[in-house]
Amino acid sequence: MQPPDEGMPEGAHPHALHAPAAPPASAPDNSELQPLDPRVVKAWRATWLIVAALFGFAALATLALPDPSPVLAACALAVALLCLAAAALHPRARYRSWGYRLRDAALLVRRGVLWRTISIVPHARIQYVDTRRGPLERALGLATVVVYTAGTRGAAVRIPGLDAAHAEALRDRLAALVGADDAV
Amino acid sequence: MMPSESHRLHVLSVLFEAAAIARGFILPALVGGISAGGGEFDRIATWTVGLLSIPAILMSVARYFAFRYRLERDELIIDSGLLSRRHRVIPLARIQNIDVQQTALQRVCGVAEVRVETAGSGETEARLRVLSRACAEALRAELLAGRRAAGAAATAAGEPAAGAGMAAGAGAAAHITDSTGEPVLELARLSSRDLLIAGATASEAGLVAAAVAGVLEFLDELVMDPPIPIPDPEAILAHASGGTIMLVVAGTALALLLIGWLLSILGALVGYHGFTLELTASELRKRYGLLTRREGVVPLERVQAVRVEESWIRRPFGLAALKIETAGGGPQERQRGGAEAFVPLARATDVPRLVGAVLRGVDYDALRFRPAHPRAQRRALVRYAAVLGAAGIGLAVVLEPWWLPLLPVLPAAWLMARLYYRNLGHALAPGFVATRAGLFNRITWVVPDRRIQTVHLTSSPFQRRHGLANVVVDTAAGGGLREAAVMDIAQGDALALLDELAGRAAPRRGQDPSRAGGSPAAHLLRGAGGP
Repeated sequence: MQPPDEGMPEGAHPHALHAPAAPPASAPDNSELQPLDPRVVKAWRATWLIVAALFGFAALATLALPDPSPVLAACALAVALLCLAAAALHPRARYRSWGYRLRDAALLVRRGVLWRTISIVPHARIQYVDTRRGPLERALGLATVVVYTAGTRGAAVRIPGLDAAHAEALRDRLAALVGADDAV
Repeated sequence: MMPSESHRLHVLSVLFEAAAIARGFILPALVGGISAGGGEFDRIATWTVGLLSIPAILMSVARYFAFRYRLERDELIIDSGLLSRRHRVIPLARIQNIDVQQTALQRVCGVAEVRVETAGSGETEARLRVLSRACAEALRAELLAGRRAAGAAATAAGEPAAGAGMAAGAGAAAHITDSTGEPVLELARLSSRDLLIAGATASEAGLVAAAVAGVLEFLDELVMDPPIPIPDPEAILAHASGGTIMLVVAGTALALLLIGWLLSILGALVGYHGFTLELTASELRKRYGLLTRREGVVPLERVQAVRVEESWIRRPFGLAALKIETAGGGPQERQRGGAEAFVPLARATDVPRLVGAVLRGVDYDALRFRPAHPRAQRRALVRYAAVLGAAGIGLAVVLEPWWLPLLPVLPAAWLMARLYYRNLGHALAPGFVATRAGLFNRITWVVPDRRIQTVHLTSSPFQRRHGLANVVVDTAAGGGLREAAVMDIAQGDALALLDELAGRAAPRRGQDPSRAGGSPAAHLLRGAGGP
């Protein structure tokens, strides 16, 4: 990872024109992107809570040992608390970061809170499409659509947290678009 | 060979199959027996080897009888397997490349191994070990003919006129005709002198790694098993501090470097002996090898991308290496770390001709590389300063004048950042996109638009502080750390490039790929709100 103290303050450079506009405080211009189903926030939060619970349990377990180690317990507890904080903050940010759109020639997926990625998958390059449902997703009535290409890095592009019926519709729509020219 | 008739492998297959099976466990047993140090263990090892080689031979005989292959209209069908029978059907149109390979022993016996790769999995899809030389060549010819026939119908539409590349390179070499009467153009031939240079300037990374590993081993021994009977290793360091130890370490490193260098030269001379690369209307063929003779055929339409690798040793001499990326992956080259070597050594002045011959329509000389954003250099400076600083602090703990290793950190980081920045760039040409990056080794990717699978824009928090982003061009080739990426360009440029490349990958009929009405992706980065 790069050090945080990198570079100069914004605008100090002659190429300040290229500096990003400050994120607008209100109404991010998401009109063109479809958001995920809001229920996915619960699923992500539950994941964090489960991890937090595991570490909390580990903290208790180390104290219950015949030779208790307070340092270890404190570390586990700290991780558990960090996970709780993440459960409070991360799922919302993550939800806001996700978005997708079916354009006329390609599927566009945006994701990532800190390390942001925008992927474009041309319909012609899709090899096949899957829907997947984990236990949490099943409980919430959600599903994940996975689009496979012959590529290496972008060989599988996932869209999680879609309403199950919607996911199936999207899968069928994408499957119908699978192109003949896979460029391999 | 008649189509639709089942064939067995050559009888000698039993021998090579048994040898391959045996290599799996006999060698370890032998090595184990020897290193265990004679006597009782030796006898046990010998018995183990003897007993285990019987099932190995039986198994290879059984496998020989279980293995059948046949060519049907446009499919290669292979039945194999002893207990679980496998029936594999490979459509000829899906073949990525075909290799015919002969080890020294196989050459004596007049047999060869044929490998067929498709894009499907990481492994070789069909491995025929072994066929008689004539059979292998006939099979290859049939596979290629079948592939051409099957592929012609499918790709006739989008394929540039065959033969354009031939015309481009025709001035350099004479046309020859092969046994089937197809015109063949010799693209490159490497003399022993070329190979000497190639070996002498190759794999500098490997050399450095070998030297470092050797030095570490030496230090390890010094600490674990001191040559002079001094009880405390710290005492050695204190005793011989600075001078002597540094000298010994440097000497060891130098000796290891020299050995590695000579091995590299020898490897190039033996491995690439008699390298020739030929171009037909639809295929690239290369032949090389002194002991193990290899003949690879890559259909031109299977080439996903071409990489030009200019290492810091080779660049001053005007030399480069060229690699072809296919979705199949070269079976033998994979062990050497990646893509199919296409020309292991080429003069820089020859590179445009070679690239143009493989990717028809590319004018490599005319590519105008746009530099990355100037802030990329500052980012790189901070990155290298951090890495070098950490290494310097590590050294400072060991060395006597502790501040010594910290002195060159900033100037070195600055030089590295400058070098890195100068190597960054990307170029858009009609039908192709090229990216360039690398610190000491400059690697240029040339990717045809038609081969782009997906396009990604990525930006880290650090990049966003500077308003920068990367654009990654994903193809069916590469993998691992090898990918064509446009690093550290302004976010606005990155979004425009993302749209441009996505449009190029899948042009919509009757519409200009450059989309009207502004960039549809332009707002996307801003939209992602943080917590």
